[in-house]
Amino acid sequence: MNSIVSRAKELLENKSVQVIVGFEAGPTGKARPAFVTYPSKTDILIFDERCVQNLAVYLTKKEVKQFGKIGIVATLPIMRSIMMLISEQQVFAENIEILGVSTEGKYLDIADIQVMQGYIEKCDLSNPSNDQETLAMLNKMSMQEKFDYWQNELSTCIKCYACRQACPMCYCTRCAVECNQPQWIPVQANTHGNMEWHILRAMHLAGRCISCGECGRACPVNIPCHLLTMQLADQAHKYFNVYAGTSEKMSSVLSTYEPNDKESFIL
Amino acid sequence: MARIGVFVCHCGENISATVDCGKVAETVGKLKHVAFSTDYKYMCSDPGQTLIKDAIKEHKLTGIVVSACSPRMHEPTFRKAAAEAGLNPFLCEMANLREHCSWVHEKNEMTTDKAIDLVRILIEKVKINSALQPIRVPVTKTALVVGGGIAGIQSALDIANTGHKVILVERSPSIGGHMSQLSETFPTLDCSQCILTPRMVEVAQHPNITLYTYAEVESLDGFIGNFTVKIRKKAKSIYEKDCTGCGLCTTKCPQKKIPNEFEEGLGFRPAIYVPFPQAVPNKPVIDREHCTYYLKGKCKVCEIVCPTKAIRFDQPDEVIEVKIGAIVIATGFDIKRSNFFPEYGFGKYKDVIDGLQFERLASASGPTSGAILRPSDGQVPKNIVFVACAGSRDPAKGIAYCSKICCMYTAKHAMLYKHKVHEGKAHVFYMDIRSAGKNYDEFVRRAIEEDYVNYIRGRVSTIYERDGKLIVKGVDTLLGAQPVEIVADMVVLATAGVANPGAEELAQKLHVSYDSHKFFAEAHPKLKPVETNTAGIFLAGACQNPKDIPDSVSQASGAAVKVAALFSQSELTREPLVAYVNRTSPPMYSTCVGCFLCQSVCPYQAIEHEDFKTRDGKIIKTVAKINEGLCQGCGTCVALCRSKSIDLHGYSNNQVYTEVVALLNDY
Repeated sequence: MNSIVSRAKELLENKSVQVIVGFEAGPTGKARPAFVTYPSKTDILIFDERCVQNLAVYLTKKEVKQFGKIGIVATLPIMRSIMMLISEQQVFAENIEILGVSTEGKYLDIADIQVMQGYIEKCDLSNPSNDQETLAMLNKMSMQEKFDYWQNELSTCIKCYACRQACPMCYCTRCAVECNQPQWIPVQANTHGNMEWHILRAMHLAGRCISCGECGRACPVNIPCHLLTMQLADQAHKYFNVYAGTSEKMSSVLSTYEPNDKESFIL
Repeated sequence: MARIGVFVCHCGENISATVDCGKVAETVGKLKHVAFSTDYKYMCSDPGQTLIKDAIKEHKLTGIVVSACSPRMHEPTFRKAAAEAGLNPFLCEMANLREHCSWVHEKNEMTTDKAIDLVRILIEKVKINSALQPIRVPVTKTALVVGGGIAGIQSALDIANTGHKVILVERSPSIGGHMSQLSETFPTLDCSQCILTPRMVEVAQHPNITLYTYAEVESLDGFIGNFTVKIRKKAKSIYEKDCTGCGLCTTKCPQKKIPNEFEEGLGFRPAIYVPFPQAVPNKPVIDREHCTYYLKGKCKVCEIVCPTKAIRFDQPDEVIEVKIGAIVIATGFDIKRSNFFPEYGFGKYKDVIDGLQFERLASASGPTSGAILRPSDGQVPKNIVFVACAGSRDPAKGIAYCSKICCMYTAKHAMLYKHKVHEGKAHVFYMDIRSAGKNYDEFVRRAIEEDYVNYIRGRVSTIYERDGKLIVKGVDTLLGAQPVEIVADMVVLATAGVANPGAEELAQKLHVSYDSHKFFAEAHPKLKPVETNTAGIFLAGACQNPKDIPDSVSQASGAAVKVAALFSQSELTREPLVAYVNRTSPPMYSTCVGCFLCQSVCPYQAIEHEDFKTRDGKIIKTVAKINEGLCQGCGTCVALCRSKSIDLHGYSNNQVYTEVVALLNDY
């Protein structure tokens, strides 16, 4: 992607940004995140089908923020993450530059947040089709079957919290599970504690998940934990007609009330 | 080390009939850290409280659990007793053995076991309770009264007479409200304006009252004792200081065919107008929607004729900001109009009118100078039908409630008609006659027995026009549901009293709750009928539900006393059971990450931003901060905070967790 490289070089050269967050090819041939601070090093930046990670997670990290203004290579999920982070006052629009990549893998010239919002609004924001199929299969199950399915899947969880670390929406400096006065969620990995952790994570992401699937990809024991938050993203759209990360002034589905909200889910 | 005292109350037999109180006291008395445990017939009685106080002193107790009734009633009693014995009141907890146990279970072993559990968990909680100090907030001793009808006027005068400042805001160009439109008032038939206008003048002249007419509340911030209100003073297009109220402009205005709101559409007014001759203030305003100058860009006749050059066409709206300590909402009510009653032809036939229109017809200052005449042809109606409950008590129409005032004013209307048209016939269709009130039923009986008003118990199904007459089809249920048909000259519908348009919007601006009919909601239907759920905001008059004048005035005076009581204190103290956002050492300052989801979920607007800055003013971090004056301790923010950075004094995460664990553990 020459345009990404040239745009990154230009931004660094005229000091519009101090760091570019993008992708580079790693030693095993996989794509990995790259943090480029010199215009001469921009040649390492790549973009192809290997580049799936949600880079927005680095925008809230103090090690990255300390560089100054950030330029970020952004696919649709990354753009939506940025929108969410702006709406939750974690990232400020004036502190970032977007090097957009369309869903077809083409370079997008994104001048500002309004342009990005316009692009997001034109895209299909539902969950990825393969995940939709799995969710449809799960939703056909009875309550007990679903519970058994998840208990089985989550029993292998080792509480490494990779799902949390990979998620750009999990930006708290102290996570609720690290709160030990009192210790609501047990530290050790066991069936119930694992369930509690994943329910907590899903609820914290309800209406905020932008369906990037990063948590599921990050899981070292292949728990499809992204399905939990994606299901809630589906529900947020179904009940409140909201897709997360579509506007910089978005109000949280869980914390706001509209008189015409559907309440059919209240038992 | 903790030394806990447990006091188990029998509540007469309310608790002891199903719970073995002696066993509860004995069992928990053996628990670790329980230094004293006893049971007594009435803990809330004087000897009961003395027992608690003595035990606190004698056994050097560090916390107590009173195991009795719901804390709703007696928590203050026992906390006060604890304080008198030198124990911080927030180290006293109440286990609800009555509502949560004895009243809802049979007498058996398990009931006593549950009682022991309820006490046990609070023993564990009180061990980690911290001593809390009441919160003190200052009071701005100025009141805001919203709405200048009789309720607002009464409230404003009563507050002003206690020596406190009042700001009275009225939406229309004059105060007076619906009462100024009324002809005569039940049950005495004295002239409404004759008793109202002296009060209106008193408001205008009172040194403690600032009157803003043609003004609306724009927004409200703050909390009890410390509100900041923005008031939009709509442009009157005249300079009030120069205007003498001579009225020349109103006579020369070329626009003369604007339906007069005060006359309920039965008369007309010019574009520059005073709503009615006794208006306060008696100075005109220009209705910009109808004024020729604003519509077409030329005219300015009023400016030419004005002897003091007081007309200001370019006057802008003015928004002023004032600090106030309490608010009385007295925005009144409205009545259902035309298209709500297609079956009665209301809005279609000119001679089917509503109650307020009849008031104007019967009023000596009205469009007919008090003669009852048909709006269609100006003839005197010989046969008149009054329909009570038009819309009220009709769940099918969405109004299940009784509008309360219609029975009385319908009787009054029928009487006024008979007093003016001696040979005429007055019929009243009613569902029930609800005339409870001093001299009210006598009044209705007088209409029936002395003025020969024909009362028919039944509803009207339809009204239609035939040969210039109105055919009223109804039923007489006292004659075995016999159909009744009356050929009438005029029909008056006692239409349902409803919330004022804009009531919902105002409620949202002021953050007070309202019911499904958009009437403002009181804090408690019986014991707090004047208070709203928002501290420092009170209700007066028909904005709460339809009310007659005496009820509105009584409530207005009640609200005024609430405000005066609030203003009698130099500062307010409140329970310290409020939420707080944690603070840690730099560079973190707080585990709060500043997502401010708590801010959008807080029903009391109690969450503010706090910036941590470097010495040269650069912001390092912005986190949430709870305003203790506003927080009501509901805990919604605590539940929503993802990083668990918010906690609630008195009901902390740790205390709740301890209770849960205590319940799960054996003893």
